[in-house]
Amino acid sequence: MGRKLLLEKADVEGIRYFDTYRREGGYRSVEKALKSMTPDEVTEEVKVSGLRGRGGAGFPAGMKWSFLAKPEGVPRHLVVNADESEPGTFKDRYLMEFIPHILIEGIIVSSYALGSNRSYIYIRGEYAWIVDILEQAIQEAKNNGFLGKNILGSGFDCEIFVQRGAGAYICGEETALLESLEGKRGNPRIKPPFPAVKGAWGRPTVVNNVETIASVVPIINDGGAEYAKIGVGRSTGTKLISACGNINKPGVYEIDMTISVEEFIYSDEWCGGISNGKRLKACIPGGSSVPILPANLLLKTAKGEQRIMNYESLSDGGFATGSMLGSGGFIVLDEDQCIVKHTYTLAKFYHHESCGQCSPCREGTIWLDKLLHKLEYGQGTMRDIDLLWDVQKNIEGNTICPLGDAAAWPVAAAIRHFRDEFEWHVTNAQEAQTRNYGLAHYADSIEVTA
Amino acid sequence: MVEFTQEKLDQIQQIIARYPEGRQKSALLPVLHLAQEEFGWLSVETMDYVASLLKLEPIEVYEVATFYSMYHLKPVGKFVFEVCQTGPCMLRGSDEIIDYIREKLNINPGETTPDGMFTLKTVECLGACGYAPMMQLGKFYKEHLTKEKVDRIIEECRAKAN
Repeated sequence: MGRKLLLEKADVEGIRYFDTYRREGGYRSVEKALKSMTPDEVTEEVKVSGLRGRGGAGFPAGMKWSFLAKPEGVPRHLVVNADESEPGTFKDRYLMEFIPHILIEGIIVSSYALGSNRSYIYIRGEYAWIVDILEQAIQEAKNNGFLGKNILGSGFDCEIFVQRGAGAYICGEETALLESLEGKRGNPRIKPPFPAVKGAWGRPTVVNNVETIASVVPIINDGGAEYAKIGVGRSTGTKLISACGNINKPGVYEIDMTISVEEFIYSDEWCGGISNGKRLKACIPGGSSVPILPANLLLKTAKGEQRIMNYESLSDGGFATGSMLGSGGFIVLDEDQCIVKHTYTLAKFYHHESCGQCSPCREGTIWLDKLLHKLEYGQGTMRDIDLLWDVQKNIEGNTICPLGDAAAWPVAAAIRHFRDEFEWHVTNAQEAQTRNYGLAHYADSIEVTA
Repeated sequence: MVEFTQEKLDQIQQIIARYPEGRQKSALLPVLHLAQEEFGWLSVETMDYVASLLKLEPIEVYEVATFYSMYHLKPVGKFVFEVCQTGPCMLRGSDEIIDYIREKLNINPGETTPDGMFTLKTVECLGACGYAPMMQLGKFYKEHLTKEKVDRIIEECRAKAN
């Protein structure tokens, strides 16, 4: 059983609206923080909680907050990253669409801690209808005295503005997001200076993911120490996982990071098993950028230990035999799926989304796309597979922002674990046009009885 | 000639007020969204108009409008089908949906039907992976697409246009 902190009230009718949300205990954290805590005490609770950034990088949120520069007389800003564009990831959307007030509540408390009187939600442009939901929630919070001037008589002022992007994956990278917020192309900035020192409009800025900010609510309500008791090791609290692909029950789930990957896939409480009684072939556990794993390495580590749905366990074995929890975008592939084709769609994605600023990424993603196209459509050679490996290697680590790595890793992992399938596309080019390679040796050990 | 109504111009002033003084360039993305809603697509004339409203050089508007994939730089149909083709949607059959729409409307991705009614576009991940295959239609998502559902959507669009 998973403990729920964010989605606990998701099924309550009308939870989208202020009155219901408030009646169910909403906005208590604002009262607690503004009436009985100093901003530094709020930050301290977040540090104690061990909360790690939920956007994908997993950087400790409290530490990020403590880096915020506070020069006299210079306004500071909190910017919420709602650009959610990593393929396989749709958790923030769920939170904003169904429980928008938990985000607004988290923003108010976080803004208080950071000293931000004007905070922004940068949301991907395609989530157009969610902009209306958020703006309504903001208006409701304002009408009830939780936003605006002198909130709850504390002397703290706060406004929240929603800014829509316009279709660019790169704007999920925090400095590209800030460029976009300033009305420019989403080209990532060279760091340092980090946003904590020079962010939006040159002012000290903290950029946090939607889920991270929402998690501040239970942390302040129950205390950081209580939050840290949930989970295991450095994977504290709960994590939203958006599960998709060939499973019976795709959707958004909140887990406490102690359940096994096997349980998550096969239990009816979560994904409900592989659809159509098929068998599991492979999985990308943390959004399209993290390494794909064959079933055998997904369910158990190379050491033969059961793999758990948390930061440490999913990365056990490094990239040689492990992956990452990343954004929690859990993509499942069944035995009928073609690894070459799937990798090709991801390469097309990164090619399309590269901002074009760094040559290794701009040119490299074109090559990855073209080479995979050749292989998928039966014109590839063995040399192309080596070339593919070479190109990804030369992108990784050679770009200003992580998009280069994000484009390289899926290709590297696919070749690392499924090289035989790529070679089969060369040796059996005709056949590969009409049927898929199948499960081969990477089958899971779970017998399908259905 | 392109020109916003007074109501829209007031709305733009409210948007500009969200940002620090002198930083009205930050309003560029929202104003381009407004312009596209109002004028259908972003012609050079429209972009120049937006530049004058925000006191920017036209190039500052062009470079932004060409960077983001949601802005239409040429006229589009009354209804734009933006079908996701990225990995998670592909796993759930987006290829067949795209092929079906091509066949049904007799256009390729990037094209518009001769009657100016429909445009088909393939797009990258829209964050609906658990409800795949899917497309964006105007402000909303159409999810769990099947051929029958596509038929229904096309009919609904035609009915709406009449």
